[in-house]
Amino acid sequence: MSSASDLYVDRSSLLHAVDPRATLAFVLALFVPAYAFGNPLWVAVPLLVAFASLLYAGGLRNFWRLRFIVLALFVVGLIVWPSFTAAGGPTLLDLGFYSVTEREFLFALGRSMRIAAFIVGGLVFVTSTSNEEIVRGMRKLGFPYAFCFAVGTALRLFPTFLDAAGTVRQAQEARGFDVSASNPVERLRQFVPLLIPVFMTAFRNVQTQSMALEARGFDTRRERTFYGDESYDGTDWTVTLVSLGVVVGSVALAALGFGSV
Amino acid sequence: MAPDHSDDASAGVAARLKDVIFSYDRDAMLPSAAELAAEDTTADPDAREGPVLRGVDLSVPSGSFTVVMGASGGGKSTLLRTLNAIIPDFIDGSFDGDVSVLGQDATATRVSEMARGVGMVLQDYEAQLFGTSVEAEVAFGPENLAVPADEIGDRIDESLHLVGLGDLDRRREPAGLSGGQKQRLVFGGVTAMHPELLVLDEPTSDLDPKGTRDILEVVGELTRGDSSGEGWHGPDTIVMVTHKIEEALLADRAVLLRGGTVYREGDLREVFTDVSALRDSRVALPPLVDVFDRLGVPNERLPLVPSEAADLVADTDLTWTPPATRGDDPPGAPAGTGADLGEALFDLSDVVYEYETDQGPVRAVDGVDLTIREGEVVALVGHNGSGKTTLAKHLNGLHEPDAGTATFRGRALAERSMSEIGREVGYVFQNPDHQIFAATVEEEVAFGPENFGLEGEELDRRVRDALETVDLDGMEERDPFNLSKGQRQRVALAGILATDPDAIVFDEPTTGLDATQQDQFMELVGRLNREEGVTVAMVTHDMEKVARYAPRTVVLKNGRKEYDGSTRELFGDEAALERWDLRPPHVVETANLLADEDDLPALSDDELVAALGGEDAVGASAGVDAEAGTETGGDGR
Repeated sequence: MSSASDLYVDRSSLLHAVDPRATLAFVLALFVPAYAFGNPLWVAVPLLVAFASLLYAGGLRNFWRLRFIVLALFVVGLIVWPSFTAAGGPTLLDLGFYSVTEREFLFALGRSMRIAAFIVGGLVFVTSTSNEEIVRGMRKLGFPYAFCFAVGTALRLFPTFLDAAGTVRQAQEARGFDVSASNPVERLRQFVPLLIPVFMTAFRNVQTQSMALEARGFDTRRERTFYGDESYDGTDWTVTLVSLGVVVGSVALAALGFGSV
Repeated sequence: MAPDHSDDASAGVAARLKDVIFSYDRDAMLPSAAELAAEDTTADPDAREGPVLRGVDLSVPSGSFTVVMGASGGGKSTLLRTLNAIIPDFIDGSFDGDVSVLGQDATATRVSEMARGVGMVLQDYEAQLFGTSVEAEVAFGPENLAVPADEIGDRIDESLHLVGLGDLDRRREPAGLSGGQKQRLVFGGVTAMHPELLVLDEPTSDLDPKGTRDILEVVGELTRGDSSGEGWHGPDTIVMVTHKIEEALLADRAVLLRGGTVYREGDLREVFTDVSALRDSRVALPPLVDVFDRLGVPNERLPLVPSEAADLVADTDLTWTPPATRGDDPPGAPAGTGADLGEALFDLSDVVYEYETDQGPVRAVDGVDLTIREGEVVALVGHNGSGKTTLAKHLNGLHEPDAGTATFRGRALAERSMSEIGREVGYVFQNPDHQIFAATVEEEVAFGPENFGLEGEELDRRVRDALETVDLDGMEERDPFNLSKGQRQRVALAGILATDPDAIVFDEPTTGLDATQQDQFMELVGRLNREEGVTVAMVTHDMEKVARYAPRTVVLKNGRKEYDGSTRELFGDEAALERWDLRPPHVVETANLLADEDDLPALSDDELVAALGGEDAVGASAGVDAEAGTETGGDGR
């Protein structure tokens, strides 16, 4: 079950069912070709697969949350990236102070699509992998348990702090608080009534939480057991091997000169 | 010579504290137990400096359920924390004395090691959940104790069943559970560690009535536990700190702390009917003990629960005369609040408000009409998720209705800015720490009026008046973060009062405060209404405060208004209370047991005393010789 403030979406899909390490391998199979190729037609493949996977995993709402960021990065990329490559082919746009040739445009489009593929691929992972699975996956990849636990706690507390920040904002607004200064320094100073209560609430929570942790026997200095560790089954291996095949294949094709602008 | 801790376990003692002194100041020079015994123990704990625990001697028998009560700041929670070595192992302070728990020296053992035998549940359930799913949460403790993985599955089944969460989807994230479910899950996580001694620190303080009832059922179930014999069947011994009488009555032993030491301990009934010991310890008298003590009933016959009170009345000459009967114009609130009404202030018409969730929009408020007049005190009740806070936020424009209208003095709130509304309608949030940010009390209180453009002498006057009203004058330069929670809540209220509002909305204003702090805060609210004419709308779970202060109650369920009318008539309708999961206070429950069909109940201690003949008639009506207590062998009070 997921709550509205989480990125994870509780759904029955292959991406949800496989081990988090297999999901990670799948996401790598989206990232690597998106990074290896520059031609928009080639980058479109991992981008479209990422989108289709996100839809399949039920993560459209997560994309919707980030749509303005994705759009902004895409558009800014189209404007900025042309200056990072040599001009070539016919001029598509000439404003006098700013011009774009066909080669520059294709280069910029490929780079913007790459960024979009990274974001959408990342969303596929967090949409289909619960906090618990992320922690378990990290532990099985060899990260120290204390570190994995800290990551899991941070992921769990993030929505709680967002809620607290919302309440603090309402409490101060009810007392006439309004951030309206145009000067950035003054604006930062005005945020003090929001930041201090949020930090103090977090600090008090951390104190109680540390105490409760020890009371539940948490001790990184001694042995512990792990409940619910499932084995890496056939489906996990299939997804992992196919994904690694895509990774290796795309690197090889790129090295051979395919998919470049 | 170091004490032999193994003797205690065999002697039937779960925990023993001897000459325990503790100060949160790590560099404190601790006095000896003898020096502490010679000093005045009646000082206000909020104002007193020095050790919190001041020479505690206490034995907790194995198999007992002991409740620890005392004044705010009197060391109750601190005492509990010595039982699993949080003090002195985790909290850095100055400690002296001996603590033996389950045969171990708790002063020389790590908390994580003590966790093998001692389980602990705190008030703040959010801070005690570590797992990312229900299953992971319960497994966390046993995993830490290195319980074999295949045994943990059985423990999860057992614990979830024990705490009434057996049907819950185990993949579900704890964040999506209700408050009561979260606290039950915490209990589940602790019981899965199979503790012999269970330590509970105000486990229901943050819960609504239904959540509280659920937890009390869990605690009731655990009291039947017995760790002897094969397997684990619940904790053998329980020690609990609470200020709620309903919870305390589950115990069989009581300990009263006063001045950081044990003032009175013994059988629960003996301690809870020792009126002078309770008063000396600044523990609120159980309401029925207060009522029947004032009626002259001797200590040993004082009732603790409504059924005992009704039986006592039937056995004596006390006669019940109802404060009012149905059809009469019911008397107002016992506190005299909400008596002087003016024009309509708030007018909400067919208000609808929806939250967006994964599962689509959820209607939190569903077509509610509500008019509140000047000078009224209205309670908004209903359990978590009923929509009361969402509705309350429409009263000062924090929420705008998706449909319907919300007006203040005839003007739509949606058309006004927050800074404009804030001058007329204050909103006091549940947790004062969600708004306090300034370095001094004075700055904190001045924040609101400054935002509204006040300055100079007028601003100073407003701040001074507000601090005087909440009895914090003289504390202008104090750091608000170093005040007690009761004081911080009063700072928050002063911050609102300084804006000179016509109405104040309170959202669970007494949650997390102890009994004395709650009474002080609500008396302050009552005074503002009676003397300043401030209109009050309060969201609360505390039915005792509703009965005493709010002549009108609005009951919400699933976002819809189920009841809007006289609090007295509501509390006289037990079927309706049951339907809405509302539990009346003991005084009201007793009155309902005594009442005829047409009678309306008494709502406060004073009203019940009067309804039973008043204090003058007591001795004769109760058939008790108040002077000598001859008939009943009482203490002659």
